[in-house]
Amino acid sequence: MNEHVVEIKSLSKRYGDFVALDSLSIHVDRGQILGFIGPNGAGKTTTIKILVGLSRPTSGTASIAGVDCGENASRIKRLVGYMPDKFGSYDNMRVHEYLDFFGAIFGMNRRDRRKRIGEVMELTETTYMQDKFVESLSHGMQQRVGIARTMLHDPEVLILDEPANGLDPKARIDMRQLLLRLSGEGKTLIVTSHILPELARICDTVAIVSGGKMRAFGPLDEVMRNLCPMRSYEVQLANPDQLDQADAILRKRLQSSEPVTVSRMERVLRFPTVRSEAELAQVLSGLISEGILVSQFREVTSDLEDAFLSISGGSPQVSSADNSSPVAVSAT
Amino acid sequence: MKSILLIENPILRRELFSRLRSPKTTLAILCVAILSTLLVLLRWPTDAAIDLASQGSIQVFRPVAFALAVAVMMLIPAFPAVALVSERRKGTLALLLNSPTTPWQIYLGKFSGNVLLAAIIFSVCLPALAACYAMGGISLIDHVGPLLLVLFGMALQYTAVGLWVSVIVNSTDASLRWTYASVLALAVFSIGPTIFVGKLSGIQSLVSHWITAISPITALQDITGSQAQAGEIGITASWLDFMIASVAITAVLAFMTLRKLDPKLLERARPTGKVVGRSKTDNSSSLLRRISYLVDPNRTKGNIPWWLNPVMVKEFRTRKFGRLHWLIRLVAVSGICSLLLTVVAATGTVSWGVERIAPTMVLLQVALLLFLGPCLGANLIASEVESGGWELLRASPVSPIRVLTGKLMSTIWTLLLMLLATLPGYLVMGYIQPALGGQVGNVLISLLIAILMVTTMSACISAFCRTTAIATATSYALLLTLFAGTLLIWVARDKPFGPLLVERALLLNPAASALAEMKTPGFEQYRLTPDSWYVGLGISCFCLVILALRIWRMTRPK
Repeated sequence: MNEHVVEIKSLSKRYGDFVALDSLSIHVDRGQILGFIGPNGAGKTTTIKILVGLSRPTSGTASIAGVDCGENASRIKRLVGYMPDKFGSYDNMRVHEYLDFFGAIFGMNRRDRRKRIGEVMELTETTYMQDKFVESLSHGMQQRVGIARTMLHDPEVLILDEPANGLDPKARIDMRQLLLRLSGEGKTLIVTSHILPELARICDTVAIVSGGKMRAFGPLDEVMRNLCPMRSYEVQLANPDQLDQADAILRKRLQSSEPVTVSRMERVLRFPTVRSEAELAQVLSGLISEGILVSQFREVTSDLEDAFLSISGGSPQVSSADNSSPVAVSAT
Repeated sequence: MKSILLIENPILRRELFSRLRSPKTTLAILCVAILSTLLVLLRWPTDAAIDLASQGSIQVFRPVAFALAVAVMMLIPAFPAVALVSERRKGTLALLLNSPTTPWQIYLGKFSGNVLLAAIIFSVCLPALAACYAMGGISLIDHVGPLLLVLFGMALQYTAVGLWVSVIVNSTDASLRWTYASVLALAVFSIGPTIFVGKLSGIQSLVSHWITAISPITALQDITGSQAQAGEIGITASWLDFMIASVAITAVLAFMTLRKLDPKLLERARPTGKVVGRSKTDNSSSLLRRISYLVDPNRTKGNIPWWLNPVMVKEFRTRKFGRLHWLIRLVAVSGICSLLLTVVAATGTVSWGVERIAPTMVLLQVALLLFLGPCLGANLIASEVESGGWELLRASPVSPIRVLTGKLMSTIWTLLLMLLATLPGYLVMGYIQPALGGQVGNVLISLLIAILMVTTMSACISAFCRTTAIATATSYALLLTLFAGTLLIWVARDKPFGPLLVERALLLNPAASALAEMKTPGFEQYRLTPDSWYVGLGISCFCLVILALRIWRMTRPK
């Protein structure tokens, strides 16, 4: 049985009449990466602040490694490494001095601090910038220093708020590799991001919140399957003159519930479907038997963006998830 | 042509309207109106005797004129000081410079917006000036008109200073600090050389005359008829000289600002930091720097030792003047100034005795304390909140007590070092007049309490402000009101304020108790110690408790 390092149960937070979080439940296992996504104002930062001991819940509990986040905030601060979306730089301070300061306020002794600073700088590949002023660094460099700062006291859980925000493609790839390496070392990570394809590449589990409510939670592929039950298919033809004929055949076989769109420039027909593999094989053989020259017949994989859009209301697909009520996709 | 027509200038309209909409502007205008009216009411003659020499009206007019000048000095530089630097930091200056709007239009819009605002502020004191005029003995040509022109000249000069500082510095609080320091230097310290050196002749006299003319104090003395006193110490500048000097300074600063107001300004690279000591090849240049600075500013700093509060070390390291080489310079300058003052008194270079040197030293120390203290204190919490560092401190296990002590001690140590640096001066003074020993001790206690008051009050303000600029401006305003405002009450000690009220007001000001200890002329009759120490300690303790509660609230989970 997997060990739940982070456990949130029926977490609610109210500010007067405003409900920021409504009975949220999440758990993350050791070494897992949780992608925590939702539109602006969904309640992500509120949840994170409760987890790092900066805010108290109105009801419900949140714990990290068995320690209650509300009751024992000082212990939680040693268990968690928190990187907020704002970097928090200081003027006239060099990277080494910056990390040394944070090591000191976490109570690390001088020798351990010196050793640990070297280690985290090596891990985040920031050693070459140790003498530079923090405020003079580029955004990507600052994010790396931010991760180094977060890891300084060797926390069990890393909570990163928008770590890929404002990074160039190269820095984004580096960040992704760094997070995967940390996960490989047994660290538990909670990562929020608006760059969903990035998140989909690294996270094992996703939690989608909207309006303070949990909309979907579970392993990434399971969430995708549940939120995007209709698979998308593409049929590419060798002969563009056969597009109308192929369209008619598909419409006849698929019926009106599965609309077909035609892209003449690409010589492609697209349709969403819930049919089984065997039924789709019959559709393909039907096309071929009618003399249509099919060059490709393939499934287009849905991504996290589609799943997110299906929940936040901008759905490109018809989703089985009801937007007005929380959907417990899976609970492993 | 459009750039010449102010009405067509979009920057001017935006600047003026946005400022007029601000509640702070309304408050400032109201304060000036109330202050000028109150001063007239307080000084209004109540006896039935006929004033044939018109001295009564001058007695009313003089404090109004000086109070308005102080109001202009405090209010007018605040807006231009942040005008360009805040636009640059927000990125809107880049938008302006990349639009068809010329730098000249931008400058003119900001400059004229502030001058028009000053004109509005002046207009609210017209009823008070009209009341002075109605008393008789005050003429429009000799008094009211020149006063308004001098105030206008001050507005021109300080707006130009504010905009110039704003274009060269990188942060709003630094801009406010340097603008007010420049205004103080132009208004007060410009008459210093003449006071020290005395009457000169030839070209030296001419130079001294024009340096003195920069200060509005000489112009106001000319207008309010205090020129005789000023003439005794060699001050001869008239209000017309001040106007000429103001226009010249404004023109020079406008030219310098316009040269800087260029798209290249946005290309300014931040210093990336150069460190020595990691390789052996650095040694020769390091030696040179060590000789120049005593401490090599580029030397790599070691890890924070266990016996030091990391928050305090961080505060020292993150401020420019907190770095050791700057602290050494500051302490050295303070020490040299105090020693010089004492030595020139002892050797008879100036005809001042210890009784005149001691108050000067006290005033210089308080001026330095009031220049550095509020900006150091106001930076403590507000800048941390503004930069996002506070959130990181909250997410760490550091206790509120450690944050509080670390932050306060970083300011107190700096100010204390400055105070200690002047000790040799006092020691020499004690050597010249051994009887002064006890008094010097009391003066130092008063200054120590002043340090505590300045630190705790400005830190307390800082904890309630979201931006450093607002915290800095509020701290300066409050502390200047406390230190200079009580001295203004002392200036009006014969009328309208009675001796009891003056003494009670002076109890709030530790600088006044230091001056009273040194038997400064005008302060001999007041017995302010130890009561003023208790008052000062009481205020400091109150601010400390509020600050501690605020920090505790800010660090606990919400």
